[in-house]
Amino acid sequence: MSADSFAVERARIDASTRLPVLVWFASALFWLVFGSLAALAASLKMHTPEFLGASQALTFGFIRPIHLNTVVYGWSSMAGIGTLLWLIPRLARTMLVFPKLLVFSAIVWNIGVLAGTVGLFLGMTTGIEWLEFPPFVPPILTFALLIVTFCGFATFRQRNERHVYVTLWYVLGALVWMPAVYVIAVTLCVYQPAPGVVQAATNWWFAHNVLGLWLTPIGVGAAYYIIPKVLGRPIYSYYLSIVGFWALALFYSWAGMHHLIGGPLPTWLVSASVVGSIMMFIPVLAVALNHHMTMVGNFHHLRYSPTLRFVVFGAMAYTVVSFQGSIEALRSFNVISHFTHYTISHAHLGLYGFFSMVMFGCMYYIVPRLTEWEWASAGLIRLHFWCSAIGITLYFVALTVGGWHQGMMAQDASIAHISQVEFTKPYLWARSVGGTLMLIGNLTFALLFTLNLMKLGKRRVGETTFRTPMKAVRVS
Amino acid sequence: MTRPDFLIFAITVGSLVFFGGMAVLALSWSVREGQFRNLEHGSQTIFDPDEPIGEVTDRFPSNEE
Repeated sequence: MSADSFAVERARIDASTRLPVLVWFASALFWLVFGSLAALAASLKMHTPEFLGASQALTFGFIRPIHLNTVVYGWSSMAGIGTLLWLIPRLARTMLVFPKLLVFSAIVWNIGVLAGTVGLFLGMTTGIEWLEFPPFVPPILTFALLIVTFCGFATFRQRNERHVYVTLWYVLGALVWMPAVYVIAVTLCVYQPAPGVVQAATNWWFAHNVLGLWLTPIGVGAAYYIIPKVLGRPIYSYYLSIVGFWALALFYSWAGMHHLIGGPLPTWLVSASVVGSIMMFIPVLAVALNHHMTMVGNFHHLRYSPTLRFVVFGAMAYTVVSFQGSIEALRSFNVISHFTHYTISHAHLGLYGFFSMVMFGCMYYIVPRLTEWEWASAGLIRLHFWCSAIGITLYFVALTVGGWHQGMMAQDASIAHISQVEFTKPYLWARSVGGTLMLIGNLTFALLFTLNLMKLGKRRVGETTFRTPMKAVRVS
Repeated sequence: MTRPDFLIFAITVGSLVFFGGMAVLALSWSVREGQFRNLEHGSQTIFDPDEPIGEVTDRFPSNEE
């Protein structure tokens, strides 16, 4: 095959994913903006409780689960699904099967998230963290997710590339794990609530697995494709990447019980979870070493590639947040950090610093190849990056420092609780400033995406897509 | 055994079989398929003559039309 025929094949494969991927991405960005506004409202209420306090539906108890569920099920899951629907056909070197069915699944998923969000505004919460959506929502989301899993595997089955690249292992793993984890969790927490601590154990097993067996494999898997592909350099140690995948598959699902350290669970159960959390050093080291060593000698490319800039920031945040997570699982550390703002900073470094930044990077790479339209402005991309990067860094540093001191104060019985609350106020203000920056970044990206999708402005092709795909098809 | 107890038992055993079984199946399939035989080649499957090793594939948009 000539170089041109490879370009034609790649363009055709990308084209087969165009409609579903763009629908999943556009929906994701809508929920990102919506969830970010809810986040900022919740953040402001932490230091200014009277803000939007007149309406019941906008009080902290309402707005906080609305933020959590829209960014997890709306933004993160939809961005992740869009990315994996683009990655699977590329890596399998085959067309995406049933693209219209996947558009339908995106519509169903949107209906589920919208119905759940309206339900939360009306106070119909289950009261179970990460599963707050009313009981009629999980079947809708499960149905849509099963369609995605089916289409993902049906595409994989038709593959023309015999080798299963490490990214495929990660994203196909995520497509198997998430439906199972979700169905088990809603069964034992919502439909047939397990008695006593079993429900809490299931709840945190689920909450941690949404990160570990759903979003992490998609984010890490995508980085394993994007970094070497952008640099034109194979992964430093491919062998290590495979070891990392299997180690994640083996250990991540143990980790959830570290959320219940100090709770009334059997000690062995919590201890097993602490061991699992520490064992996560193996896959995390594998990923960290690989991402870093692939980048060594190539850091200057961060100046020129928007994709690389976001994905490498995300990969570095992954290393930090994962090491931090393992340490937080130790009882002696957990007794101070848990139930403080420290945990909140950790969660946001994971979901925004790592996952969202990797997704932004992937979208910067994928979208122009689907729309055949250049990004409208390098300046806006830079604005997005710096607002998001500085925003999450400020958020993380402020809540880590403030949260740790808050935890230390809580160890001293002579310090009144209100003193802790007063102490954390400046840090909470810093959190709101960081959150505002992230919101500006998110809005900038939503604007760039809309401009690209609607092909507004002067026609620009070339730099981002390198080879105009459809021109390649026409040449053939 | 009450109904919730049975459900917990069934889901726990079912999960063990499902997650464990999937892992064993996937591993044995990949060994049979020779997925781990030539990892050097595997790491290069994302490149092709049109986007070969050594070629950077992303850049900020230019300001020219």
